[in-house]
Amino acid sequence: MQVFKAIEITGDQVVPLAERMRKEGRMLVMIHGYIQPDGRSHISWDYEVGDTVESYYVLDEKKFQTITDIYSTAAEWPERELNELMGYEFEGLDTSRRLFLPEDMLETQGKGQILVTPLSELVEQRKELEEKK
Amino acid sequence: MSYVVPIGPYHPALEEPVHAKLYTEGEVIKDAEVFVGYNHRGIEKLATERNAIQTIVLVERVCGICSHSHAFTYAMAVEALNGTEVPKRGQYIRVITAELERLHSHLLWLGIACHLIGHDSLFMRIWDVREPIMDMLEKLSGNRVNYAMVIPGGARKDIPDDMRREFLAGLKGILPILDRIVEIATTDKTIALRTKGVGILTTEDAIRQGAVGPHARASGVPIDVRKDAPYSCYDEFDFDIAVCDSCDVYARVVVRALECYESAKILVQALENLPEGPINLGNKIPKIAEGEVVARHEAPRGQVVYKVVGNGTQYNQRVSIHVPTFKNAPTVPTMLRGNTVADGGLIVASIDPCFSCLDD
Repeated sequence: MQVFKAIEITGDQVVPLAERMRKEGRMLVMIHGYIQPDGRSHISWDYEVGDTVESYYVLDEKKFQTITDIYSTAAEWPERELNELMGYEFEGLDTSRRLFLPEDMLETQGKGQILVTPLSELVEQRKELEEKK
Repeated sequence: MSYVVPIGPYHPALEEPVHAKLYTEGEVIKDAEVFVGYNHRGIEKLATERNAIQTIVLVERVCGICSHSHAFTYAMAVEALNGTEVPKRGQYIRVITAELERLHSHLLWLGIACHLIGHDSLFMRIWDVREPIMDMLEKLSGNRVNYAMVIPGGARKDIPDDMRREFLAGLKGILPILDRIVEIATTDKTIALRTKGVGILTTEDAIRQGAVGPHARASGVPIDVRKDAPYSCYDEFDFDIAVCDSCDVYARVVVRALECYESAKILVQALENLPEGPINLGNKIPKIAEGEVVARHEAPRGQVVYKVVGNGTQYNQRVSIHVPTFKNAPTVPTMLRGNTVADGGLIVASIDPCFSCLDD
């Protein structure tokens, strides 16, 4: 039987929580982010505790301390994903290179069949189009 | 001499587009970077515009190998949100499909590994054994991929008694051939030379980097959602977790080979004890209750995680999909360091990567 528990925390509890979980040998199942129906941003750090997934979530905050020094790449890729696709910022996370499509792919944009547009640029283009309207 | 060796995104040796940069000193890999995102189809976004039955059809398209795993996990999440109890026979049929999928996926990978090693005769022999499994899946569902065996609240198709007996006989016929294959795979000198001591991921690194599935088990980490957090009817079967602690490509071959036997063991038990009764709760489109839940399933490559947020309508508020390759791919640079470029392809393949899963 799989159990799911959601527990609200604040942004400054993220790192101490990760340290405690790592010390207890818990697996970081995933870091998820989404926008709630009421428009509030929701980000959660989900840990495996026995047969339970404990989901520690934070509402309305967009800046956090990275937990990559605690959970290494298990946290790095999800943090980079949330940074590139949802604009969350993780202090201490190396964002000098992209996870989804490298910057130099843009050089081939529009050549032959190649169309590589990062999502952030699509958002900008959409904003421009909406402003023109 | 230092070189940067770019691989992909489109390369004859790659089944799916992905881009990697190998930083080498002579032919020794010093570091590596992986760039993903070339297979992105916007499945999570599309899922927010579909009801539960349509979403199952959609998420099955995340992957052509483990399509049932996605449908199974998504359905479990919706059922958990709604508090739905799946009929026992439906649970057994889901598990039978899942284990047939694991068998064919592991045999597919073992074949590819042998091909990359240069042992093409074993590669063809393994894929030859995989065919009866594919035939079973086709007979069961009507398809060789995207089986569509899951609906919210149960299984879509039943297993008649003659098919059940045929599957049992088929499995018993495959096992002796599998014995011979595993014997060759674990004792052949060519395979040992190409895999032993290659692509090391230590137990500590596997835990720290969050590796999952057979990849983690080959580094001595005994994790398996079917045992750690049993779901469906997995707690009713007697099976073991295959673990190997040599942490190299050889260990990944051994673990997947042993898991074929464990899957066969589960299949025989499930087919012999298939309960009577309904297979589902009907074809009605369910409303997805308000709230959020995480469902996990041990897919062939490791645990698949679905977070589903419901809003009380028939449509999903949010479906967040996290697949084993998302956890295993970041370990690739660690495994590549210190190995030669010639072994690079085999090391990357040893995690059984699925980039269409990863990008979804």
